[in-house]
Formats: sequence, structure tokens, C-alpha cells
Amino acid sequence: MAAPSSAEVVVIGSGICGALAAWRLAQQGLSVLILEAGPRIERARIVAAFRNSPYKSDWMSPYPFSPWAPQPDFTPKDNGYLIQAGPYRYPAEYIRVVGGTTWHWAAQAWRLMPNDVRIKTLYGVGVDWPITYDELDAWYQDAEEILGVAGADNTGSPRKHPFPMQPVAEPWSMRRFRERLAPAYPVVANTVARNSRSYGGRPACVGNNSCQPICPVNAQYLGINAVESAEAAGAKVVPNAVVYRIEPDAKGRIAAVHYYDPDKKSYRVTGKEFILAANGIESPKLLLLSATDKYPNGLANSSGMVGRNLMDHPSSSLTFYADEEVWLGRGPQSPSSINTMRDGAFRSQHAAYRLDFTNISQVLSVTEALIAEGVYGTEFEKQLRWRAARQVNVKNVLEVLPHPENRITLASEKDALGIPKPEAHYLIDDYTRRGADVSKKDFAKIAQLMGGTGLRYSPEGQFANNQHITGTLGMGSDPAKFVTDGFGRTHDHENLFCCGTGVMPTAATMNSTLTAVALALRTADHMHPAKSSAAAARAESPP
Amino acid sequence: MTGGAMDEPEPDPINPARRHVLAGLLTAYTASLIPWAVAAPVTSRAHGTFVALSAILVGHRSLDAGLAARLYDALTAVYPHFNADAQTLLAQINQQHIDPAQLQKTLDAAHSPLAPVPRRFIRAWCLGLVGEGEAARCIAYENALDAVMVADVLKPPTYAYGPYGSWSKAPVTKEANDHGSTKLG
Repeated sequence: MAAPSSAEVVVIGSGICGALAAWRLAQQGLSVLILEAGPRIERARIVAAFRNSPYKSDWMSPYPFSPWAPQPDFTPKDNGYLIQAGPYRYPAEYIRVVGGTTWHWAAQAWRLMPNDVRIKTLYGVGVDWPITYDELDAWYQDAEEILGVAGADNTGSPRKHPFPMQPVAEPWSMRRFRERLAPAYPVVANTVARNSRSYGGRPACVGNNSCQPICPVNAQYLGINAVESAEAAGAKVVPNAVVYRIEPDAKGRIAAVHYYDPDKKSYRVTGKEFILAANGIESPKLLLLSATDKYPNGLANSSGMVGRNLMDHPSSSLTFYADEEVWLGRGPQSPSSINTMRDGAFRSQHAAYRLDFTNISQVLSVTEALIAEGVYGTEFEKQLRWRAARQVNVKNVLEVLPHPENRITLASEKDALGIPKPEAHYLIDDYTRRGADVSKKDFAKIAQLMGGTGLRYSPEGQFANNQHITGTLGMGSDPAKFVTDGFGRTHDHENLFCCGTGVMPTAATMNSTLTAVALALRTADHMHPAKSSAAAARAESPP
Repeated sequence: MTGGAMDEPEPDPINPARRHVLAGLLTAYTASLIPWAVAAPVTSRAHGTFVALSAILVGHRSLDAGLAARLYDALTAVYPHFNADAQTLLAQINQQHIDPAQLQKTLDAAHSPLAPVPRRFIRAWCLGLVGEGEAARCIAYENALDAVMVADVLKPPTYAYGPYGSWSKAPVTKEANDHGSTKLG
């Protein structure tokens, strides 16, 4: 059957944000077409591919690579798709398939803190958001009920209504952290889109400990669940449709988008409204690609800010041996954290951060270390068991401020379809590095309280990336400074909206997905106000 | 599923003599490192060398014969001199009575061309991996020894740990279980 050539709403990108916006609009009876650059995939095949992968610490490895929809991959070597302009490497990862990158997320579904959206006013850094936390509350609640979020009230993010689910059962390892770090550090359950009971037709978690790269049992909400909901509501999905140009009309409205199939045959799709939801790198890339004589710097870019203010969450960490057996790897991967440094007057001086404990099985990393050390014979098994039982890790999740020079541009290199690759320009500033320095004292204290030995700090000045691509389509009320307005509508094109983490004007300290989903639902409700929207109803009524 | 463990060899009705090949490759010293494996059936001198070195380097109480065959096939396919290297290495351990704990240091100190060889064994048995970089292949996962060695406490990632919330209880290791059984008995 031929793919539709028009729809009332055309959505570019089938990740969790685009798919939920599509679902919301399809529910209202609008015809919705989702164009996805990558293929459909099957959960069971990804599980099998992971088990068969020689690169199990690379969570991209089980996902198929499509030459027509390339995605960055850095193991066993950089595949050269995301060009690194420096000065700091930005090895962001994302998956170009139906359902998008939440196929391999940790299901961390955090709200911001109220002060996160006012850091310019309160602390003189970054920018303020065009909306308040209170305004967002109703859509956060909506997002949490759709995704099925389990959490507790002690994380620092206020709420007007209860979580849909109790926190996921605490792994023994995290209980020991909580007990031994009290009262110096309150260790609390992470807020996660992971079922602590049957919810949304999906089962409770059974502790597969592979949340990343794949939950085998559908206990955590993924973008593919959103796609299935959108399709059930009538939205159509076209996989392997690589949008390469957005076409404006003479009045500056968007008239159509153009996509290639894998054989580079081109198609044109018209619509009344368009949602760009292709993630924080591919979305600005597409706007820049769509330059015309009238828009020489790309679409939605009269401010010159498309692709700028690229942010993420860098992490440094400490690995050590606790003085008791905790056996990480029992239960979900990322269950608990310390949230006391997410906000405070110190934010005028250094980055805020969250402290996160992993519960990922240490067997792989311990085995690799023993092999590297050349440990053989009976000592190997003895050491493997001793270390796997005691090795633990704490990392920070650091705030990065928006800087225009941190940005995504078009590279001179092109991909297999002849489309320019994205190029990342990235620098981690002193504000963030000062936050890392402060957190190092927490690392030391935590290790001390756990009777830690064999302390291994991540190399000084080096950070792991968390794939929370933020800021490149930032929202703000001033069209001269921001790409999108407070509802995600581009300032320059009345019928072009952006959904995804790119619209967040600051990154705060929390995994960005839930905020992006809440904003995407709010965008959809703004495009076509729904009488039945629970969020809209809540927003209008006092708690 | 792979074949039976080598510490419980099945009778070989075709050629019982083969069962003694492995013992014939060992000195009293190396046999003392792997007493459980001395009677393991092997099909050739090269295969016997692989099994003997595997047992010495891995140190586990038993090795799966079916997995051994698959790893051996993969290693010999990837490394052209695998058999010759293995025989030289086993001879060195036999003759010089090298303690496995000191083996890598000894090879590194001598700048031996055999220095990469022990890691190939361990990586194959304990991670299920053969080959390097882009040529790496995964031969085993849930039955690789790193998973087997902790199977009393952990499941390999992607395998369900147990019913919801079962991970909240304190882990019970085989050592604790053995201790508990003794007390109960």
C-alpha cells in the first residue's frame, strides 16, 4: 500500500515525544502521519542480538544500523557519523528506528525542580524558562500516568497529585547504601517509568537487569509503546522515510516535507501542521538543511539559534569495593540516588548535580579487569566473586549551562544518501567542572561510609556522557533569542512545532525525557485544545 | 545446549584409549593444578593441549566439553598459530613449573611472543569472546564462565532475576547455603 502523501498533522520522528504528540492529536480525530527515518524493529531480536554481541558494554550494539538512517556509534570504533569538531568530544548516542532512543533508556522519569526554570533570576546563570513549574505540573502528571511512573515524594520535585505507582522494590544493594549513608546522605528511590505492578497492559519488573540496552519483558515504558498507542488511535507510521527537507510556502508557513526511501527515491508529503520531533541533533540538522534563498540560515532560524546551546549531562564517578557483599545486578539497573545537591544558592557558583548509584551487574567489568590484569588459575574465580560482590559505583549527573558556541552544525561530510552529517561543537565549562570538583568530596565521604577500598576515580577532567541531548531548539518568549515559544511553536513558522528534549532551554540535573514528554503533550494540547485532556482539566482547576 | 561437564566424562565406546591423551600431555606439576581434568577425553594432541591449558588458566572445577569444542574451533579459526602457541606455552609451564598466578608477569618480563595467548583462553572461556576489535565474535553468553561462576547469586543480564521484588532480600551465596546446610544437618 502506498504511503499517504498528506495528513492534517505530519510528525517527523517516531520517538516517545513525537509519538505521544501524534497519539494525542489522533485521539481527537485528526489525520496524523509519522515519518520515521529508520526501520521497525522487534524486541525479541534486540534481546537476542544483545546476548550474541561481542560488545556488551556498548548499548548501541544490539540495534541495527541502517545506511540510509545512520546513527552515531563509537564501539568498536567511531563510525564517523557524528562529526566531532571539539574542543571536547561529544559522543552522543541515539537510535534511529521506529520508537526512537527510549528503546534503550534507563526509564528515569524525573521532574525538574521548581527553581530549575528560574536559574537566571535566582542565581544569575543560564536562562529562565518561558513557563513555570506550576504550569507544567498538570502535564507532568499526565505524562506520568501515560508512561506509568513509579516514585516517592522525597526527591525534591513537588506534585499536586500522587504518583500512579509506588516506587519499585528496593534492591538489597541500594538498601545497604541507604542504611549506611544515613543521616549524612538521604538515598531515595529513583522516579522511573518502570512498573512496580501490572500497569498499562504491561507486567511488573522481574529484574532482568538489562533496562539498558533492552527491557525484555516490556516492564518499562518505551517509545514503541507510544507508537502503538498512536497507531491504535489512527495515526499512520511510515518507516524508512528519511526527511531531508522541510518546505515553506511564500507566507512562511510550512507546506510540505520531502523524504527519501532507502533507494533515494523522493516523496513529498503535505500537511496543515508539522511537528519536528527527530531529537536534539537530527531536528536542528533538518532545519539547517532546509535553507532556501528566503531562509539562507535554515528554517526557524531568524534568531540564529537553531542547533545552539547544546547541553547534556556529563558525569564523573568513583568506583570502589564496599566492605560487605552487596552483589549489584539484582533488580533494575538504576534504582536509587541522592538528590540534595539538585538546587541551592551554590548554583550561582557551580553546577548542581544529582548523585546516582548503579545497580548494573559488575560481572562484565570485573571480568574484563581481571583479564587485563592477567589473573589466572583458581585465583580468577576467587577474585571474580569477591569483586563482583563488592564493587560499587557512584556518579554525578552535572548541570551544563547553555552556551551558544556549543552547537550542532552541518558537516561537510555526507552520509550514504548524500545528506550532510551533523557536527558537534562542545566545551564543558568551568561552572560544570567546579560542580564536579565539589561532588568529588561527596564521592570520598560515600566511600568512607561504605568502608570503601580500592578507590578508582574517573580520570580528572574527563566525563562520561549521558545522552540527554538538550537545548538545540530552545524555547523562550523572545524571537530574537529563542527558536521556539513557550508552547514549542517555532517563532518563524506558524504551523511548525518542535517536540523533544531540544526545546528545553536549560538542562538542570535530571534525565530529560519526562520533561520533554510533558512539554510535547502540552504542545499537542495547545495545537488542538482537547476538552477531554486530563492535563488541560487539571491545569484549569486548583488542586 | 552443550555437552557434559568434563569432570564427569562419559565412557567413549569408540576409542577408550583417547581418554588418556590429556594425562599424557601433563607433568606431575601441571596435573597437580587440574586433578579433576586429567582423565578428560580429548580427540587429538592439539585438542588435549587446549583442554589442559584451559583448565590451568581458568581454574574452574569443571569445563563444559561442548563449549570447549566450539571455543577451540573458533580460536583455531581466528589465530593461525593457535595450536603451536598453545603447545609451546604448555611446554613452558610443564618444564618451568610456572604458577598460573605468575604466568602473565613471567611472559611479559621475558617479552615472550606468547604473552597474548593466555588472555585469549580466558577471554574465550570467561566472556565467550574470540577475536579482537571488529572481528570479535561472541561464542557464549549465559554459559560463559563469568556467568557460571556467580550463578548462585546473579542471572546474566536479560534473564529475569525472579518474581517482582525478589531482589530486595539479602543475597544468599552457595557458601552461605553450604554453611546453612551443615548447621541444619
